[in-house]
Amino acid sequence: MGALRVKLKGLGLRRLLEPRALWDWGRDLKGPERLLLRGIEGKIIEDVKTPTPPNPSGQCPICRWNLKHKYNYEDVLLLSQFIRSDGGMLPRRITGLCLEEHKKVAVCVQMAHRAGLLPNHRPLLPEGHVSKKPKLNRYLTRWSVRSAKPIWKRGPKWCRIPFRVGHPLLMNNINYGQRPVYLNH
Amino acid sequence: MASYTKAAQQWATFARAWYLIDGKMQPPGKLAAMSVIRLQGKHKPVYHALSDCGDHVVIINTRHIAFSGNKWEQKVYSSHTGYPGGLKQVTATQLHLKDPTAIVKLAIYRMLPKNLHRRTMMQRLHLFPEDVIPEDIRNNLVEELAQPRRIPKRLDEYTQEEIDAFPMLWTPPKDYRKM
Repeated sequence: MGALRVKLKGLGLRRLLEPRALWDWGRDLKGPERLLLRGIEGKIIEDVKTPTPPNPSGQCPICRWNLKHKYNYEDVLLLSQFIRSDGGMLPRRITGLCLEEHKKVAVCVQMAHRAGLLPNHRPLLPEGHVSKKPKLNRYLTRWSVRSAKPIWKRGPKWCRIPFRVGHPLLMNNINYGQRPVYLNH
Repeated sequence: MASYTKAAQQWATFARAWYLIDGKMQPPGKLAAMSVIRLQGKHKPVYHALSDCGDHVVIINTRHIAFSGNKWEQKVYSSHTGYPGGLKQVTATQLHLKDPTAIVKLAIYRMLPKNLHRRTMMQRLHLFPEDVIPEDIRNNLVEELAQPRRIPKRLDEYTQEEIDAFPMLWTPPKDYRKM
């Protein structure tokens, strides 16, 4: 048996020696039938009827639904449509967003994650992993928690180093209150 | 009120009231602004600086305050012991872990007018890290004030009907696999 293995190795027929992996068997089959091999039932879902957007001539989904300057980090129902299950953003060529809206949605998604508004869209961690970071409530965080350094000297009042809040991309959002949106605290 | 006697009306006007504020997910600066107005007595039309008309303010859940921006990492609380090399600088995170009421306390202390009344007003402020309040303070409370910031809903706090009522903004392509 050992001699046979050595001879086959010399011929370059390694595929015959190694046990064929389970995924290899289904290589010729495609679609739902392939899933049947693993014992999982595959269903072909029909297209769900979506209501017509109020502005069908828009270029991106946000313009079509007239939401151009109207969403923020707290509109989780909107943001959750553009994210994967581990919290990352979907690519622009799939969602169809224009570049500036994609960037704005990405910024809002980041702020929503840091505010803890998307608890089920976390990256996969090994079970029983307890994070040593203190759980502090925050909102409108522009930079990542690990990257922000303490401002040891803020300076005198006339040249104070401000705390940056929110994001400049969201400056043009519609504000129904009387006070403007302050990005520097 | 027309039905009260003069003495009762006088007593009600100048009585010291106890207000409750819930600090859960609230910015400490806004909590401080609300409490400072009531500690000084500026919410009363009979206010005068010398007439000691301030009220008591009880703030609960100070452990669960929320800072906007990256202030937890960037904001630095400094103090000096008076000795050379005695500058102690602590970030907001470190201070909050050491003492959960310190941030709100410092915010209110620095917002009050810088006179001798400040210490008396600080004695009328009561801070609790959780919502556990002593029995006698709980019996004194008159009114709970509205929270300054509207707390946004998490995704798992929305009902399935609300999630279904929100339309899908974009149609996925034919070979799209839901990740």
